[in-house]
Amino acid sequence: MESSDVEMKESQPVAPAADGPVPSNSTPSAASNVLQLLKEIASLVEIGAYTKEVRRIARAVRLTIVLRRKLTAASVSAFLNQTLVAGSEAHSRLSSYLPKEDELDMDVDTETSTTQLSTKHTLPELEIYCYLLVLIFLIDQKKYDEAKACSSASIARLKNLNRRTIDVLASRLYFYYSYSYELTNCLAEIRRNLLALHRMATLRRDELGQETLLNLLLRNYLHYNLYDQAEKLRSKAPRFEAHSNQQFCRYLFYLGKIRTIQLEYTDAKESLLQAARKAPVAARGFRIQCNKWAVIVRLLLGEIPERTVFMQKGMKKALEPYFELTNAVRIGDLELFRSVADKFSDTFTSDRTNNLIVRLRHNVIRTGLRNISIAYSRISLADVAKKLRLDSPNPVADAESIVAKAIRDGAIDAMIDHAKGWMESKETGDVYSTNDPQSAFDSRIVFCLNMHNDAVKALRFPPNSHKKEKESAEKRRERQQQEEELAKHIAEEDDDDF
Amino acid sequence: MDPKLVEVTQVFDRFKAAYTRNDLQTCSNLLTELKVMLTKFPSLPPLFQQSPNAVQELMIARDIYEHAVVLSVKAEDQDAFERDFFQLKPYYTDICGIIPPSPQEYPILGLNLLRLLVQNRIAEFHTELELLPSSALENSCIKHAVELEQSFMEGAYNRVLSARQSVPHETYVYFMDLLAKTVRDEIAGCSEKAYEYLSIADAKQILMFSSIKELSDYIAEEHPKWKITNGCVFFQEAKDSAPCKEIPSLQLINQTLSYAKELERIV
Repeated sequence: MESSDVEMKESQPVAPAADGPVPSNSTPSAASNVLQLLKEIASLVEIGAYTKEVRRIARAVRLTIVLRRKLTAASVSAFLNQTLVAGSEAHSRLSSYLPKEDELDMDVDTETSTTQLSTKHTLPELEIYCYLLVLIFLIDQKKYDEAKACSSASIARLKNLNRRTIDVLASRLYFYYSYSYELTNCLAEIRRNLLALHRMATLRRDELGQETLLNLLLRNYLHYNLYDQAEKLRSKAPRFEAHSNQQFCRYLFYLGKIRTIQLEYTDAKESLLQAARKAPVAARGFRIQCNKWAVIVRLLLGEIPERTVFMQKGMKKALEPYFELTNAVRIGDLELFRSVADKFSDTFTSDRTNNLIVRLRHNVIRTGLRNISIAYSRISLADVAKKLRLDSPNPVADAESIVAKAIRDGAIDAMIDHAKGWMESKETGDVYSTNDPQSAFDSRIVFCLNMHNDAVKALRFPPNSHKKEKESAEKRRERQQQEEELAKHIAEEDDDDF
Repeated sequence: MDPKLVEVTQVFDRFKAAYTRNDLQTCSNLLTELKVMLTKFPSLPPLFQQSPNAVQELMIARDIYEHAVVLSVKAEDQDAFERDFFQLKPYYTDICGIIPPSPQEYPILGLNLLRLLVQNRIAEFHTELELLPSSALENSCIKHAVELEQSFMEGAYNRVLSARQSVPHETYVYFMDLLAKTVRDEIAGCSEKAYEYLSIADAKQILMFSSIKELSDYIAEEHPKWKITNGCVFFQEAKDSAPCKEIPSLQLINQTLSYAKELERIV
């Protein structure tokens, strides 16, 4: 995420390029208003392409997303008429996807066609931008079949273009390409294509594209629960510093999911919590998903998530099943756990966390056992079985082996006396006499120091700012000189006084 | 009918005949022959060409690999099982639209889950499990494996062992026997930590040996540190959770130096 002052500076050269100041509500027709904004964005893309500044194009994409709710068929096709050469392949193809409307704003069309956009051949950046615009419009209009056709055409066109200024636009196109296929539920079809595109992006050193495509592929695999393939791809794909925060969040989420399935809970928890924290506040659905998975992973680790996790703004309702589940695990009551799992089984199935919930049963028993071992210094195995509510033909023998395993795994500190049939808890040791507190403290210090280093690395400076600094250095020298002279002056005056 | 298909069918018939006779050697020879022949079918994975005989070819190929998997269980060859299973798997996952699902699908998938459990590859077990639709979990073969894994993780080993009596398929017995061995090792590991000592009779019962001789052989072989005295098995293990007396100075010095370095960078 860029700081706002960078964006402010970017916008300065845009204003003169556009025909006038940012249109306000005074413009009579909304369509021409949108068209005006679209033209500004187009000129932004153009400047970005000429000066090879990718950030301008990224800004153009952001502005488009802001505008997407206001797009109409009329404004989009008017924009196409102006930007693309009439009769060109891209123009005729893109116009064919748009619904035909009787009253196209022809007056707007003629009035503005004399502006600087009427060059003979279109920039590839602008052409790709048009594809993106039409694709977003089609998806918003729920015309998924047209969107599929449009995205496939754009991908075919992209394959022949190798310009770094297109990367930003391309990565958005990839995203909508996969999205349009997901909406029509045929993600499996494009897997081969995505892999080819990922290969291409790697060869062209298009890191943003690689990042986006890797995520799309992971999403594609996970959609069909192909965790094995996803992990193999993920571990072999080249990694580098993340370019886009959103893509990084997604990556972390997918990584967390894969690791959860493969029982690497500690790493999974780290990824999922980081994803939830890094995600923008607006991405509520994504954060809910992250939190759901994170809650389960923490439960599987034997941790109990704090109540504040479930009380986050706007998530309370969605996380309720998981809250009740946590409660059941916390108490260590198998009966309650079973009833919660049954009650919300629809939610868990749709979240695809059902299998993880099944794994939790074992943690419920552990927690119950730990509570017992804390409360009693000695308890008979028959009572343990009764308290855990194990339903089995031979509860005492089951309880004994369960306790034995819990002891071996270090969940409880106790001994079993087989002859007398009881479990005896050991005295809890003094933690502060060990090295544990020290190492915990150390890991926190390391975390803080790393955070600081990362923050320093993430600082961004506006371009050419060092020149300004030089000027100010000169000025400072001047000022110092003046001050010195002044001081001398005063000193002389002082001398005069005597 | 395609001559290649006819040939494969004939060899496969001979294979099946040998299979019912339990002639494993002939079977594996014929199987190798069959696998070579299958490579000539263009409609099989990974090519998936749309040939006119595609359905028949896929059907027979799937049938052959299913037999191969079961054969490897009979031959008690786990590596061969893994190989054959991976060859078979695309037939279950990638072409479900072309040919009807096989009645053998769930028994074989359950068998594979069991194998992963026996080899203690729990992560892969769960990865495979995620691939199954929720309806599959109702199937007795899959359910069997899933419940085994649960009992295994909980530590309810009695349930694991009693499950041997209720195997859903005859081929499962081989893996269940292997599982019993794994379970015994687990129990031995747990007992070592959980008990100070056990009487020999109890130890024999807990570790599921039929005679004391077997028990002492097992102890001598697997756990030489255990001692048998006065009719009891003592699990000697150093109980070292004592508070640390020494300060790990070298580690502390390293840590402090790194803090100093980092702080210097900040200030």
